Amino acid sequence: MEILQGLGLGLQTALGPSALLFCFIGVTVGTIVGVLPGVGALAAISLALPLTYYIDPTDALIMLAGIFYGAQYGGSTASILLNLPGTATAAITCLDGHPLAKQGKAPLALFVTAINSFIGSSIAIVLLMFFAPLVARVALNFGSAEYFAVMLLGLVAASTLTVGSPFKALAMVAFGIALGLVGTDVNTGQFRYDFGLLPLTDGFSLVAVAMGLFGVAEIIANIGQPPGTLHKLGRVRFKDMLPDRQQWREIWPPTLRGSAIGSFVGALPGTGPGIASLMSYAAEKRISRNPEKFGNGALEGLSAPEAANNASVQAAFIPTLSLGIPGDAVVAVLMGAMMLHGISPGPNLINDQPTMFWGLIMSFWVGNLILLVLNIPLIGLWVKLLSIPYHVLYPCIFVFICLGVYSADNSTFDIFVVLAFGVVGYGMRRFGFPATPVLLGFILGPLLEEHFRRAMLLARGDPLVFLERPISAAFLAVSALLLASAFWPRGRKGKAEEAADSGLDP
Amino acid sequence: MKNIIKGFALAAMTLTAPMAMAQSFPESPITIVVPFPPGGSTDLLARKIGESMAETLGQPVVVENRGGAGGTVGAHYVTQADPDGYTLLMGVTGSNAISAVLRDDLPYSPTEDFDPVSIVISSPLVLVVQSDSDFESVQDVIDFAAENPETFTHGTPGVGTSMHMAAELFGLESGTTLLHVPYSGSADALKDLLGGQIDSMFGDILVTSEHVKAGTLRPLAVTGTQEHFLLEGVPTMAEAGLENYAAFSWQGLFAPAGTPPEVLDTLYGAVSTALATDELKAVFAERGFLVEGMAPADSKAFIASEVEKWGRVVDAAGLKQ
Repeated sequence: MEILQGLGLGLQTALGPSALLFCFIGVTVGTIVGVLPGVGALAAISLALPLTYYIDPTDALIMLAGIFYGAQYGGSTASILLNLPGTATAAITCLDGHPLAKQGKAPLALFVTAINSFIGSSIAIVLLMFFAPLVARVALNFGSAEYFAVMLLGLVAASTLTVGSPFKALAMVAFGIALGLVGTDVNTGQFRYDFGLLPLTDGFSLVAVAMGLFGVAEIIANIGQPPGTLHKLGRVRFKDMLPDRQQWREIWPPTLRGSAIGSFVGALPGTGPGIASLMSYAAEKRISRNPEKFGNGALEGLSAPEAANNASVQAAFIPTLSLGIPGDAVVAVLMGAMMLHGISPGPNLINDQPTMFWGLIMSFWVGNLILLVLNIPLIGLWVKLLSIPYHVLYPCIFVFICLGVYSADNSTFDIFVVLAFGVVGYGMRRFGFPATPVLLGFILGPLLEEHFRRAMLLARGDPLVFLERPISAAFLAVSALLLASAFWPRGRKGKAEEAADSGLDP
Repeated sequence: MKNIIKGFALAAMTLTAPMAMAQSFPESPITIVVPFPPGGSTDLLARKIGESMAETLGQPVVVENRGGAGGTVGAHYVTQADPDGYTLLMGVTGSNAISAVLRDDLPYSPTEDFDPVSIVISSPLVLVVQSDSDFESVQDVIDFAAENPETFTHGTPGVGTSMHMAAELFGLESGTTLLHVPYSGSADALKDLLGGQIDSMFGDILVTSEHVKAGTLRPLAVTGTQEHFLLEGVPTMAEAGLENYAAFSWQGLFAPAGTPPEVLDTLYGAVSTALATDELKAVFAERGFLVEGMAPADSKAFIASEVEKWGRVVDAAGLKQ
């Protein structure tokens, strides 16, 4: 009953003229910063935040949140069309999204991501509406031992993320972990590998690393190349976007699994959409009957991470709104915005500020619907962007990447970081080293270390803690099973797959 | 060597131009560098104070966020600016006092490279435990920790933060050793406290008071010298048995070293005017800040006392990097 009342109140708030306007502005800005390579939600929200000091707090939050989830819709556009991730978390979408575009299926890929984003968000919002306190309580049971076990599962599952030599992939995971070591050691406060450079004491920024390895490297690789087949894509008809019956069947199950993984990861504070999409992609590839399709335009490899990153972003509001603990770095800035307006996010929020609480949640529905309506007609426009000649398009994108990286922290140092990683990324491509495992190691490595050491500290150095705690033990068991299955991979499907696998190895 | 040259140059400047500068300052917009991303309490403070200072000084005051490395990136940036009063830092306990005694590897000196304009506000912390914890008072904690060294855990947002220092001071004053569990942010630590993974935390007053109201956390003592208005009825550490204990986190406005005293005074005048407005008083009350508004000379003395205090704690706990 209380929930129904809340929903009514929320709808009233979210459908008010000013809330609608700010929601629209938020999701539109979000879509645009999502599409623009390098400029991400964090930078955009940081820039927009001071402007919101002058508007009603509920409207301000609705707008800022809109930028956040709107960016998740737009992020995949550039990944699919140009093989350049629009946001750091959309890097994984390049893997299967861009091959689809090269097969002339860009409209289909863009349509599928829009639908999947909507479904992923919807599932997480339903969770947020009805089960937020319950989910938050489950999340509180996750201590460092459990986090370690979950991250380890992610790393094990994702170890076969890309096609090609597993040794090169493994080397790149190690490279990513090494990059993640740069910065301040959480346990002792010591600076590691900072070479006396103060900006490095916070480590490399994820945006700069991802944009360098994927974005700048792609631009360098295209210097002197003639425009590809994508260039000639003509007018987009609605018919080209719609998946056929067979394709729908390929899309549904991964979308639902991606939404589930995304909601779970998103509700755990201290994670984020990047981990959600990496894990869901890895899970899909693991359970697929045709893992060889991944990396060559598999719809499953596109749907799962797209649903997951949107679900994770919406689920990140669960701990934020019910406990006052931000689900990820961007929500932390949103929480700061609440505090600036004199609202203290915490366990009392739903009782103290019911209008804001329910208004914000209902605005998520409004915003996601606007995004869906906005994004499908835009597909035609985005595809048209491809007809811009490379020598005009790429310098523009390059400027946007530098702008985006700089605006996150007003740091010129990060521009040099993104350039350096662009060169490194290009070199890696030339020698066939995949970039996604670097990102995986870079994101998961520091979390693994931090939680492992904290779990050991709290257990006074007893490694059995990971097995004594049931949730942690369960995740470790699944990881062990996955590892074991890697040694018997051929049993189930016989020789056909083996042939396909070896065919892909360079 | 560089500093000597800088010193001579500054001396020359202050000798030749003081009157002219005092009359005309400020002639162009002033920048306050916030060494954290937008949305935090330092950012809020800088923007609110900046608005009011702009009115008094008749020049726009721009807030620029340069986050990173616990505030030291932004602080370093300001030390490299001209000491003319046009580039200021909204510094905090970590960037302008604790780091001076904790680290030798910073490219600037938190004490010598700044002239304080004013310590603007301070806020005490609060020692909290879970509401169903067996620890009912500070004495319970001391008794337990005395018998079980390095067992009672406390979470902090990182090594060298004011929360960490408050806890180390607690150990020093009570003659006990707690087990330090560092996190990479206060939200992570709070989550583990609520989930029962750690025993306690020296937390921010505003955030923890929400949980106290909701009945999920129990406050044992505030680290200030008097009762705090957001946590009525909660004793101070002194009242709870640690007579000499006092720990605050504070925020203040800093200019690069060598700024002419007249300019500092003009800026301090604008800060004082700002602190007297009802709007700022309301914002501070909401946030749980205590208004300080110290004059430049008092601020300098206060920082010296802070550096001395935390130096003792860092040495006793063996934290020097």
